[in-house]
Amino acid sequence: MKKEDIYAPSEEIVARDIEGELIIVPLTSGVGDMEDELFTLNDTGKAIWKKLDGKKSVDEIISELSEDYQAESGEIENDVTGLLEELLKRKILSKK
Amino acid sequence: MTKSYASSLKLTDFRLWEKLKKKRFLYSFDIELTARCPFNCRHCYINLPPGDKKAIKKELSAEEITHIAREAVERGALWCLLTGGEPLLRTDFPEIYMNLKKMGLLVSVFTNAALITDRHIQLFKKYPPRDIEVTVYGATKKTFEKITRKPGSFEAFQRGLNLLLENNIKVRLKAMALRSNYQELPQIAEFCRKATKDYFRFDPFLHLRFDRDCDKNRDIKEERLSPEKIARMEVSDPERFDSLKKECGRLVSEDFEKTAHHYLFSCGAGISSFTLGYDGNFRLCSSLYHPDLMYDLRKGTFEEAWERFVPSVRSLTSDKKEFLENCRTCPIINLCLWCPAHSYLEQGVPDEPVEYFCRTAHERYSRLKSLDKP
Repeated sequence: MKKEDIYAPSEEIVARDIEGELIIVPLTSGVGDMEDELFTLNDTGKAIWKKLDGKKSVDEIISELSEDYQAESGEIENDVTGLLEELLKRKILSKK
Repeated sequence: MTKSYASSLKLTDFRLWEKLKKKRFLYSFDIELTARCPFNCRHCYINLPPGDKKAIKKELSAEEITHIAREAVERGALWCLLTGGEPLLRTDFPEIYMNLKKMGLLVSVFTNAALITDRHIQLFKKYPPRDIEVTVYGATKKTFEKITRKPGSFEAFQRGLNLLLENNIKVRLKAMALRSNYQELPQIAEFCRKATKDYFRFDPFLHLRFDRDCDKNRDIKEERLSPEKIARMEVSDPERFDSLKKECGRLVSEDFEKTAHHYLFSCGAGISSFTLGYDGNFRLCSSLYHPDLMYDLRKGTFEEAWERFVPSVRSLTSDKKEFLENCRTCPIINLCLWCPAHSYLEQGVPDEPVEYFCRTAHERYSRLKSLDKP
């Protein structure tokens, strides 16, 4: 994964906000492999997810989050890349 | 240690459900896409002929359905069941199905499988339904077609079911337990167990027609099993038997008669779900066809239906002696098919006991009680 890469929610899922919970519903086959499988993100994941608009690069997301949360960019970088890798593996994200 | 940001969870494990337990929240809804069906089953409550012009004229368009479903989704609904009649009779089924899927709904489909085409298979393979429930009326052509009253229906059902299974589309099977197939129920069970690994269920509870057609209601009553047979069948089915045993404490409540109120509705109708009729009528549950207890969404708004109409129906009361002294205070009401919706279909009013239901509930209760004995 490169820092200039841009990612967006995949067209193979639908992300829903139900009562403040982020629920990711697979649309096509192959996203979930378990019966009744949906996905959810923890609070850190949700904060990163909101930035994944298909316009911002990974680097820009890290900078914005570092400002929003006044945290070390190294720590934020680990969180962002960790989540992106996980979501890419599950086909929840796609590269622009 | 690796930190995990995303979790894949089974539906039942979401913390959302815990959060929503204490409030009225819309989880799911059924859509009757049509009242028409290519079969003419003896026991069915909604099977107008496929070419019924009046029914076709009343059907909601794909656009209307999508609009109403979007309102439900905005209120949080996650599950949607497409049923009928036979939902696949609608040529715009793929369009409706995809519109619902794209909203992030988990979509189930009830079908007789006879109209499954390669086009449906491609659709379901790419965009999987949560499940497809197919009803099995008989294990042989003779019995199957005695019930469906449609020559060729057994072959059509077999062809459709095989297409679904061969393409690994998730199918659940259900069998209606009727007088016409009672002798064949063991073979039906064997057929279902061979076809899918999932638990399949027998449904012996037949309710009367939504259009209150007298001749067809007579057919339905003739197909009903006796209360003794229903109770015996339940006890002899190990899966149903176990779940009844587990639920016994909740189903039978001696305290029920002490709860002093005269509300008609003690069930969950309209609390977290609703049914959208083929003609645009919003109903609190699939069986509630009383004309005064439905809301026409073509003349009003979903918000009005959900926020104001449902609470007004649920607050209805009855002072009828037969209701207050029988069903309302009955400790085994949860073993009974009685509810205001079925009371209306059987008796024409929402607050009268139904003798057949009552006998069936007592028979089930006595079987359950006998299970408790060491």
